[in-house]
Amino acid sequence: MGRLAILVASAFAAPLGAQTIAQRIARADRPVQVIYPSRPTACGDGRSYVSHVFEDGYSFGSDDNTMYQRGDGWSRGACVHGPARVVATVMSGEVTRLRVYVGPVPPSTDMETVNASASDAAAWLTSLITGENSRVAASAILPLILLDAPDPWPLLLRVARDNRRSINVRRDALMWLGTGACAHLGIEQKRDDTPDDEMRTQAVFALSQRPKSESVPALMDLARSAKYPSAKRSAIFWLGQTGDPRAADVFAELLGLR
Amino acid sequence: MTRGTVAVLALAAAAPSLAAQPIAQRVNAVRDGTVRFAYTAAAGTCGNGDGGVSVMGRNGRDGQYWGARICETGPVRVSLGRSDGQTISVRKYVGGRWSASSDATDLGVVDATEAARYLLTVAPSLGGRNGSEAVAAAAIADATIAPELTRVVQNGGAPIDTRKDALFWLGQSEIGAAEFTRLYDSAQPFALREQWTFVLSQRHEDPAVDKLIDIARGDSDAEIRKRAMFWLGQSREPKAVKFLHDIILR
Repeated sequence: MGRLAILVASAFAAPLGAQTIAQRIARADRPVQVIYPSRPTACGDGRSYVSHVFEDGYSFGSDDNTMYQRGDGWSRGACVHGPARVVATVMSGEVTRLRVYVGPVPPSTDMETVNASASDAAAWLTSLITGENSRVAASAILPLILLDAPDPWPLLLRVARDNRRSINVRRDALMWLGTGACAHLGIEQKRDDTPDDEMRTQAVFALSQRPKSESVPALMDLARSAKYPSAKRSAIFWLGQTGDPRAADVFAELLGLR
Repeated sequence: MTRGTVAVLALAAAAPSLAAQPIAQRVNAVRDGTVRFAYTAAAGTCGNGDGGVSVMGRNGRDGQYWGARICETGPVRVSLGRSDGQTISVRKYVGGRWSASSDATDLGVVDATEAARYLLTVAPSLGGRNGSEAVAAAAIADATIAPELTRVVQNGGAPIDTRKDALFWLGQSEIGAAEFTRLYDSAQPFALREQWTFVLSQRHEDPAVDKLIDIARGDSDAEIRKRAMFWLGQSREPKAVKFLHDIILR
């Protein structure tokens, strides 16, 4: 009886759509691509990078979500808005790796395709983020943010504050909360810094490298009250990199959440 | 005085003992092969006799540790490789002893200052690891060689890595902080000025911190300013941290 009650409860905890994606993936014997609507700002070449998740100059490599700025040496394809596409590697019914793309969907020959609604994709990605595999959880955050849906800050705040989660997942959650806070405050990196801004940014970085007992309070203070956007943005970024749970409180405050 | 005695005295005056000849001359007498010599190590220097050296610098002991092995306080032993009349390699050791079976030309124990000066004259033409070994071997001699290290730092014809090594050891030397910081203004290559910010950061006297702040505030190269800021961030000096906050807020 007790077991039945648990089964019933877990069936209600996961929406049907999520179960459908998860179930299809569990049965798959080859990679699965889940295609869903992306947020209006997002673009990519559909094959190697994602950009403009927010109105900033950052891009993310599809293979490992590495963040970088598009510079003079940029040689990838045009950034085109289109659906988000998450390619899941599956082993023994479990997702072991995610790669995310935005833009044109290339013809697929060796993958199973799931066309999902935003809400079904959100439920599936949420289940991965809250799941046990920390590598998959961390790499599911960007795909979740890419959804054409309300920002997932409450979920990411819970992850960032949960000391039982691995530092990598919490740090990724904090990084995205910080990016979201910058967007919310309208201080995204939209153009090159002035020379003075560059120095402010470097000074914040230098402070961030001091012992945590000094750097975290200093960064929290700067994230809340720095006068210049470049300094505030840099403080938010480095505060997120500390992985310190106190950063979540600052970001919640900046996002107007609790 | 007999005729024979006069002859011996005259011979001695004309041909000084080998030990009295300059090290350079004795080294140069060996066209091909290995030359080795030893000299007194600076206080605070010790080694395992096998290339591992530990130095008690301005910030405590730098270097390697070897578990239970004893760190011997000297001497510094230097082995030079010679080919076609040129010194082509340098290796230094502290402690231990030479292997008895070697056919190297052993100059024995030599004057530390003279040895250090000789090593700094050959370092610029060696470069690479050999240049680095020559500079380090000179720097750990029981000798005052700041002027000679300064000349290597300022030698525009020397490999940049050798100049950086010399700069590092100059920063660790007895040179006064004020004089050391003044030398920065004549340093040109980026790599040398970058190294300077690091070496300054390893000296915690007021003039060194002030110079780092000056560099961070007004160097003509933005990247050098950034390096200086980074090292100020590592400083224990309250004024360094205050400076960083001022940059952020101004």
